[in-house]
Amino acid sequence: MLRRTVAAASIALATLAGSAARADEILVGAHMPLTGSLARSGQAFDEGMRVAIQMFNARSDKHKIRLQVIDDESTPAKAVSAVEKLVSDGAVAVVGGYGSNIIGPASDASNRLKTTYITAGAVSDELTVRGLKTFFRINNNAGYQRGIGTLLEALKPTSVSILASTKEAPALLAKGLQKDLSAKGVKVTVHEFDPAITDFKPIINKVKLQDRSDILMMSAYENDYVGIIRAAKVLKPPVKLVVGAWSLATPKMSAEFPDLMNNVVGTSFLPYPVEMKDEEGKRFAEVYKTTYNKEIEYLSTLSFVETTILAEAIARAAEAGTLKAGGLPDAMRQTDRETLLGPVQFDATGDNPRFAVAMGQHRAGKVVLVSPPASATGEIVYPGLPW
Amino acid sequence: MTDLVLQALFSGLLVGSVYALVALGLALSFGAMRIINLAHGELVLLAAYCAYVVEGRLGLDPYLAIPLALLVVSAVCAVLFLMIDRIREHRELNSLILTFGVGIILTNAILLIFASDARTTASATLQDATSVGPVYAMNGEVVAFGVSLALMVALWWWLKTSWYGRAVRAVSSNRAAAKLMGISPVRTELVSFLVAGALASFAGVALYTMSVVQPALGHALTVKAFIVTVLAGVGSIPGVFLAAILLGVTEALTVTLASSALQELAGMVLFLLVLFLLPNGLFGARARRG
Repeated sequence: MLRRTVAAASIALATLAGSAARADEILVGAHMPLTGSLARSGQAFDEGMRVAIQMFNARSDKHKIRLQVIDDESTPAKAVSAVEKLVSDGAVAVVGGYGSNIIGPASDASNRLKTTYITAGAVSDELTVRGLKTFFRINNNAGYQRGIGTLLEALKPTSVSILASTKEAPALLAKGLQKDLSAKGVKVTVHEFDPAITDFKPIINKVKLQDRSDILMMSAYENDYVGIIRAAKVLKPPVKLVVGAWSLATPKMSAEFPDLMNNVVGTSFLPYPVEMKDEEGKRFAEVYKTTYNKEIEYLSTLSFVETTILAEAIARAAEAGTLKAGGLPDAMRQTDRETLLGPVQFDATGDNPRFAVAMGQHRAGKVVLVSPPASATGEIVYPGLPW
Repeated sequence: MTDLVLQALFSGLLVGSVYALVALGLALSFGAMRIINLAHGELVLLAAYCAYVVEGRLGLDPYLAIPLALLVVSAVCAVLFLMIDRIREHRELNSLILTFGVGIILTNAILLIFASDARTTASATLQDATSVGPVYAMNGEVVAFGVSLALMVALWWWLKTSWYGRAVRAVSSNRAAAKLMGISPVRTELVSFLVAGALASFAGVALYTMSVVQPALGHALTVKAFIVTVLAGVGSIPGVFLAAILLGVTEALTVTLASSALQELAGMVLFLLVLFLLPNGLFGARARRG
């Protein structure tokens, strides 16, 4: 009996001691599309997020963050379930995955559970008009539109053909660009295409024979870019520049499709080879390279920034003793710092009104930032085509 | 406008030939075993990744991947067949669930091994343009068209003249009667499954050389192959080719004359129209009347 009591007491003490040792460990949840149609994006996001947590834990003595990631399989329903599971496991905040159609319901669920939710993977304008008090994001359609629009205006084209996927974010970006450029007297023709399309020649032929535009703009994703540029290489429309949106001006695209990328322009945050100006950036590049043995991915930079901002806000709330009393959203709103993506602040809707992208041009395996002038690391080659 | 329409017709023809290549295997297993192999797209994808391994990792010509693809895909087909053969009740329905599950496993296996990146050939020769009058195509597409046509003829000839081909048709018509004639239905079905796997191997390699592949593509390929199979009607190999061309041309003309956003919708409308007006498919019904 005595032996049993001692054993029970030992277990209880060990449990208590363990709890004390983990007292400063804070659980953060994340749902990422690690499989399914968005797996490529999800994996890149996952990498940046893990590096951010690793770096935060290395520099924080008081608070350590433990990350729990659930694969949402690129589906909204699974993302909602993931949020519910993460919050029930004790996550104080959730890092969202990718795609406005997934982030929407997942952040709704998070708000219902009074848990802070941050994303860098959804740019739809509709997400910030819902009045959610726990929703935050660091990038938005307006920032991408501004970045691309600034470049296009500087080039002064008379006409632009936009090939836009019918997925929400690319369609939204295309509409915004069409509106802005048309208002400035540029003739804009939008060709929307279904994401399932594999042969772009009939569309490119319309650009070649009907539009005869100066710029071929692609508002789409990686697979589409490859298909579009390939079709353009075959038909050679009389454009002067091929421009794209996200995940295009990246070292990965340059390495995997060297014959298609030269002179192509896309949104970017960093030149390649990576040149980090501040200590945080240099450390990120170093840890990322050590961990994954490759250059920083475009989407990994986004998730690194969002996770770092969240971790810092968690530390602020924990310091103030408000973390468990619902003080994290207020701590998030105190964010005002320079990041690898530029300045980040959150307005009343949780959006980052200061988000803006630069534009990078592929040049023989390198990515040169060509716009805006303040971020440029080189002059744009214009006219410049991949063929 | 004439140039636009001509290019659309040519592009539709080439894309349709790839649809045919993907659909031939599905049509064979559906015709022979009355089993819709929902993992067929993933088998095609597996072959495409074999081509990626041979070109991207070993630095060889992607067409040299055909033996490897035949080996890998046939092995998976044999295992899949053994699983299907163990189904004792409601074979059509249960095999649907089984092959759907195998498809998911294959997709995720590909994802684990090759990551989710888009892959395509780096061969400059295959990507170079070739022109026929005012219309253009990639060399890889022209080769795929030729392969598709050749395989369609070869399959038709095999079904019509070889012993196993006739056995497949016999089992397809009446399993019990075929057994009474001394044909082993199990062996015949295994052969038809392996031939379907061989067709998927060629389709996958061709797909890699002319398009972009990524792990999530398998399901879309299965859907496209299923549409073509139903459009053609059961038991018509030339019908599969013609139905695939019809689908490809319809999609390309929709892009050219209407909007590219309506391409998939046009294909589905065609599919539903044919189902409504000719429930046995375009060529299945005609064969029956003949």
